[in-house]
Amino acid sequence: MRKLLKRGKYNSISDGKQAVSDQINLKKVCAVILLGYIILAFLFYILAGEQLHFRSSRGNVKMPVPNFGTVEMVAGAKVEQTFIPTIQRFKQVSVTWGTYGRHNKGTVLIELYNLKDNSRILSQTVDVSKLTEGAITTVASEKYLENLYGVPLLLRITSPDSVAGSAVSPMMKTDAEPKAGQQLYLNGKAVNGVLAFSAEGQDYIWLGLHYWKFIAAGGILLAAYLLYILMRTKRKKKSVLLNALVAMKKYRFLIYQLVSRDFKTKYKRSILGVFWSFLNPLLMMTVQYYVFSTIFKTDIAFYPVYLLTGIIMFNFFSEACGMALTSILGNASLITKVYVPKYIYPLTRILSSLVNLAISLIPLFVVGCFSNVPFTKSFLLFPFFLLCLAVFSLGLGMLLAAGMVFFRDVQFLWSVFSMMWMYATPIFYPESILPDQFKFVLQINPLYYFITFARTCIISGISPEPIAYIQSFLLALGMLLVGAFVFKKTQDKFILYI
Amino acid sequence: MSENMIEIQNVSMRFRFANDRILSLKEFVTAKLRGKLTYQDFWALKNVSFNVKKGEVVGIIGGNGAGKSTLLKIISRIMKPTEGAVICHGNIVPMLELGSGFDADLTGRENIFLNGAILGYTKEFLESKYQEILDFSQLGQFIDMPIRNYSSGMMMRLAFSIATLVNPEILIVDEILAVGDEAFQKKSYARMMELMSGGTTVLLVSHNLEQIRNMCSRVVWLEHGNVRMFGDVQEVCDAYSL
Repeated sequence: MRKLLKRGKYNSISDGKQAVSDQINLKKVCAVILLGYIILAFLFYILAGEQLHFRSSRGNVKMPVPNFGTVEMVAGAKVEQTFIPTIQRFKQVSVTWGTYGRHNKGTVLIELYNLKDNSRILSQTVDVSKLTEGAITTVASEKYLENLYGVPLLLRITSPDSVAGSAVSPMMKTDAEPKAGQQLYLNGKAVNGVLAFSAEGQDYIWLGLHYWKFIAAGGILLAAYLLYILMRTKRKKKSVLLNALVAMKKYRFLIYQLVSRDFKTKYKRSILGVFWSFLNPLLMMTVQYYVFSTIFKTDIAFYPVYLLTGIIMFNFFSEACGMALTSILGNASLITKVYVPKYIYPLTRILSSLVNLAISLIPLFVVGCFSNVPFTKSFLLFPFFLLCLAVFSLGLGMLLAAGMVFFRDVQFLWSVFSMMWMYATPIFYPESILPDQFKFVLQINPLYYFITFARTCIISGISPEPIAYIQSFLLALGMLLVGAFVFKKTQDKFILYI
Repeated sequence: MSENMIEIQNVSMRFRFANDRILSLKEFVTAKLRGKLTYQDFWALKNVSFNVKKGEVVGIIGGNGAGKSTLLKIISRIMKPTEGAVICHGNIVPMLELGSGFDADLTGRENIFLNGAILGYTKEFLESKYQEILDFSQLGQFIDMPIRNYSSGMMMRLAFSIATLVNPEILIVDEILAVGDEAFQKKSYARMMELMSGGTTVLLVSHNLEQIRNMCSRVVWLEHGNVRMFGDVQEVCDAYSL
């Protein structure tokens, strides 16, 4: 006979024996949830903007690193490159020039032809005298061209008036493996190698095309679930949502008290007090900025903001996990004397760190303003990734807290591990400096995703691809489920080990 | 008055002792690999069942290691029984150790709210009781001082005031009542009597038979984890003192 210890049926506080579950107006809560869902769906639609529908095309042709000139672009010379773009919305082509290290005169004409119907798609005349060695000229279409997917194209460069000795030359890469449909002709003669050119455009995002269908489907599922909950509650049955609501109502004040205790005691005896919460990341950023901008000579745009975003997010992560790690052992005196659901302890530690994080967003904002980061509406999407990070930290924190109870080694392992994690996350270095064989480190690092997407929102001023949201959400949820599962399985034994 | 407040059904509690207490991963792995991970079972409670009715004051007596504290912890949900179940119909305030939820860096006032929240009370309720708690504890102006500056007597007075002034439905007491100076002891004793006569269900562990005789209506006598006797206070106490 192994029954669960049942929870007291009534949560009667002094007077009135009304059950908490009766005090909650479940219909109202359901309505609020549904309304919140709809508002968030619209808000996301507006904030994500164009990035919800289009992404930089997977079929973009990248500019190769040129190693040779083609022919001197005198009148009558002709350089042609054929290629077949797999770009759904074609935008532009670019060409790299060589100048033979001299000053040149005249003009060149860049044209793009559709070989299917022999029509001219783009053309631009370039003033040669303005070109320098390695200069790149981009010929862009005013509108996105939507009917060029899989159509063979011809990029032709000619010159109407240049003379030998003062003409430029388009660059090429001689040892490149030509892809299907690519062929370079110099003065009408096929040669090996490819022209140093790039072609860019956008692809449609499947998720974006069907955004409203997904939202509608999700809405219907949600509504059905809420209806199911309402039915269950009517028959006096428990449900996850109801339990969560009851717990939230019951322990809200306790959580508030514990968070405010953490916060009060943290800065209790320091002179600057709360001020440290935003002074700390700011000072760290300053030090790292001076160290790394002299060592690395990075060319990252808005490096202070790049750095500060990384620092703030990683600091939150390591602080939250470090605090959650000791949350069970540190509260041993409480746990052995009073009953409180044990998940409250790691949860409050994460929440206290979250308060700190919120404060340290102020210096981020200030530094952003000073370094002229283009704050756009996408900045409002940034909290989503913070939230994912917090949920992820909660999951990991619960796992660590549970592990710590049984094996005190966890704290020493964790301090080494979190340092490793810090170096494996591009906080102060650009991800491009990682050699190819270590690139996988980023791919398996969840923090990399959260931080990179957050930076896209802030620095690039655009929303990341929709898949980024799903990725981050699943990573966070996965960690939470693992952590909560281990925590729940082991929590009854905590008392025997602390 | 016959409503059951606490139902204890066949509660058994087993403690497992690994032959060496293992606290590190290395020890665990090496012990496991060598097959030396043996356990020794110890039943702190075996098949304990009894009910406590609303408003009753039930004493728990027994020698050292009889399982009294374990039982209290199980009833307060701090421990989960290996077998059996405990059903409580009401808000439990465990006074297993006074002041366990205090934070030394916070002021007395902040600790009242923190401790109250830990015991499961709402903000509004604590605000309404705040003045009463302050008056009862006789802390006066010290209430706004960090409690690391309190004397142990002041701390105990505050803890006792919080635990008893919130009118708990079920109060679980493990050897207390000797709190503060003589005047406060008298006051706290009076307060306990008031609670007991005012409908609060009390579970009281004590080695002081005199106290048990005075306060309790029924008594559970635990011996080596078993209920040796459960019944009227005079009857059990007489049997126990033999």
